[in-house]
Amino acid sequence: MAAEDARYRQSSQYLLWSFSPSQLASIRENTNAAARSAIAARLSSLPASSSNTLSAPTSSANTPDPEGSSTPALPEFLTPAEEALLVTFYTSELLRAGDHANMSDEIKATAAAIFRRFYVVNSIMTYPPQEMLIVALFFGCKAEGHFPSISEFGKTFGKENPDDILAGEFLLCQGLRFALEVRNPFRALKGAVMELGLLPDIEASRLAAAERRAREILRFSPLITDAYFHYTPSQIMLAALSLADRGLAERLIQETFHYVAPASNNSGADTPMSDAATTTTAPSKRAPATRVGGEEDKATIIGSHVRDKVLGAIEACRDMLAKELPERREHWTNKTVYKAQLQPLRKKLNKCRDPERSNLVGLQRARRQQAARKDDSDDEDDLDGQARGGGGGGGGGGTTLEEDGAVFGDAANLKGHKGGGGQVKKGLEDPFGPPL
Amino acid sequence: MAGSPFGAPTAAPAPDGQQLDLDGPEQWNETVKRKYVKEKKIGEGTYANVYRGHMRHDPSTLVAIKKIKHQDDYRDGMPPAAVREMKYLQELRHPNIIRLLDTFGTGVDTLNFVLEYLPLGDLEMLIRDVHRVRYGVADIKAWMGMLTRAVWFCHSNYVLHRDIKPNNLLIAADGEVKLADFGLAQSFADPGRRMTANVITRWYRPPELLFGARHYGGAVDVWSVAMVFAELIIRTPFLPGDSEFEQIALICKHIGTPTEENWPGVTQLRDYTVPSEVVPVWGKEAYMGRFGAVGADGVDLLVKTLALNPAKRITAHEMLQHRWWRADPKPTPKEDLPRKSGGEEKMGADLKRKNGLLDEENGTRGAKVARKLDFGQAK
Ligand SMILES: Nc1ncnc2c1ncn2[C@@H]1O[C@H](COP(=O)(O)OP(=O)(O)OP(=O)(O)O)[C@@H](O)[C@H]1O
Ligand SMILES: [Mg+2]
Repeated sequence: MAAEDARYRQSSQYLLWSFSPSQLASIRENTNAAARSAIAARLSSLPASSSNTLSAPTSSANTPDPEGSSTPALPEFLTPAEEALLVTFYTSELLRAGDHANMSDEIKATAAAIFRRFYVVNSIMTYPPQEMLIVALFFGCKAEGHFPSISEFGKTFGKENPDDILAGEFLLCQGLRFALEVRNPFRALKGAVMELGLLPDIEASRLAAAERRAREILRFSPLITDAYFHYTPSQIMLAALSLADRGLAERLIQETFHYVAPASNNSGADTPMSDAATTTTAPSKRAPATRVGGEEDKATIIGSHVRDKVLGAIEACRDMLAKELPERREHWTNKTVYKAQLQPLRKKLNKCRDPERSNLVGLQRARRQQAARKDDSDDEDDLDGQARGGGGGGGGGGTTLEEDGAVFGDAANLKGHKGGGGQVKKGLEDPFGPPL
Repeated sequence: MAGSPFGAPTAAPAPDGQQLDLDGPEQWNETVKRKYVKEKKIGEGTYANVYRGHMRHDPSTLVAIKKIKHQDDYRDGMPPAAVREMKYLQELRHPNIIRLLDTFGTGVDTLNFVLEYLPLGDLEMLIRDVHRVRYGVADIKAWMGMLTRAVWFCHSNYVLHRDIKPNNLLIAADGEVKLADFGLAQSFADPGRRMTANVITRWYRPPELLFGARHYGGAVDVWSVAMVFAELIIRTPFLPGDSEFEQIALICKHIGTPTEENWPGVTQLRDYTVPSEVVPVWGKEAYMGRFGAVGADGVDLLVKTLALNPAKRITAHEMLQHRWWRADPKPTPKEDLPRKSGGEEKMGADLKRKNGLLDEENGTRGAKVARKLDFGQAK
């Protein structure tokens, strides 16, 4: 178990995708703020008539403004809290879609985790969650080593055009920072059940019932909450087990600590307990836990100190999971709840979508055209770029990457193309600055 | 910046002053991309072109940039090999596993892996260049040690490589061997899971896969390690079957016929067929003639990795505990290991030095090599 946890600290899940609650909240605020200003800028640079995503712009938006000072009315944006609520709703939709397609627990869990990661760094106002959840399910299969045919997969979800899904794949991957692995707690649960099964005084029926319930919890509760961002797989597993049968979880913790405690003397901060504890709050991982292991007779003190930390983490995780027990599946599909809480937010979302990015297929098409336009600069050895009539830079010296950059990111061109006017970019560079 | 996987996700101008309108992840991608400068193409594989490159801020730091090709015959988005390589290399950090330094996108959706630069070719080049590259037991022990540690590390992270062969063992400037090409890798954490049997290059493929087993584990890689071990000794592929059928026949002939006695359950495997003449499993002594150069201990290890029954095959972890590593001669320090002859232009290099003299690159270690056994004559 010690080696297991030491390895976890090397994982991308820990290094890239673990945060303390306050860190996570602040990243989400940043994401929301960045989306607001980007969308505001894009909306106000669009000729009002060309924007179909903007619902009913006020009539004044079409009126030439002699002073040049007024901007089109901006929609009301989603707040970070509203975004979070909607992401949770769409996560529940993702899980339902996964059930519908008979996907394995691992795939659904991985898909849910990557969907939520994506929306930590991207706003749902920027990229459409309804589409991205299907992309996440498709890519979740791949991340778990299954490679479905896109046409088969698309049919399951009534998506006849493969591009509807494929257009979001790279985007999703980039949003994940190309870290595809999700560490799910299902294997930890199997291990725990095996370990408990070895204890002479535990009834098989009790253990089976606890396993069933814990698994049911793992299939929903940690996926629809932020548990994966804050806790290790074994903490999540223990929290779920504790919700299923507190006695069994406590017993397991007791056995684990009893078993591992002596090791803390030798390996100091590398013990599973200290690891588990530092994992709870992401900041401490950057300033590694103070090494106390060197001092001889502190082992027992550390043991209990660390143990308290771990227990605290498990309790906190338990509280988090308890708010979304599997019975809450019904809540998220409940018509009344939907009408009262979710529908208004979806309507609001429809009005503040990014005009440039909320249509994945359109966005990709625009990018392709843009890439094709600069294709002449590709050199001959870059066959893949040419075969697709795009695909970006070639070899041939150090300028290539910069050229690629221009292709990939030049949203000004994109707007020029969509809006049909070269003036758009000018608007952005207006000395008075963008409207927000 | 700390706390966000992308740094601050704001729409700030790019460093060069060019007004880029990028969302957080796109900006991050841009920043990663700009860390490197791509140079000339240095290799091509089935699914990628490989370029040399360097760090923009420090041109002396070289990297390899593996740019994934768009495959016209794969219509289902990002190709499996790219997904697998990206997933596993991102997680596996070990001195004997090729290090993925960064990943970025170019164009619309082209993946680029930035890998540590491994300029000294691969083990296959060394094995094949019998006339100019000479090596001995101590060198084999060093290479095998590095390979075994890499495989052990993969397995202890529940990752199967599934394409171990000399060609996928690249060599760093300091002589360190690195397991590369994770395009077929797969996690085997879930023992109940069915996996495809159609993996591992045929000559290195174990009998259970040739028989179509859908449930398997680390033992498949261990068999490949055995094949690499044998090949290092005899300097030619040990069991070069032209077809799956011939591959099975070769295994039966040289190692023994898998039967219910030596491998309970084997006859139940989907594609189990063996030549009618049953060959008893060869004992250690039988290997001493052809492989004896690595000593009795070395042969003992080889035979344990060649167990037909995957359940009886030694694990990578057990391999590392074998006494051969500690027996004399000690493994050659990596800096002193033989290197490929010729410079960058390894392909089609003239093999005129038929007498096996060392070229200048290896000249400095001539004395050392002379003390060692030379397997170059084996044909
Ligand atoms: N890190 C590296 N440093 C130097 N050269 C490299 C590196 N990686 C790959 N190469 C070169 O590029 C070639 C192709 O790379 P690689 O084998 O990874 O591609 P692939 O598409 O997976 O190939 P394969 O057809 O064997 O599956 C290698 O044979 C090697 O010559
Ligand atoms: Mg290769």
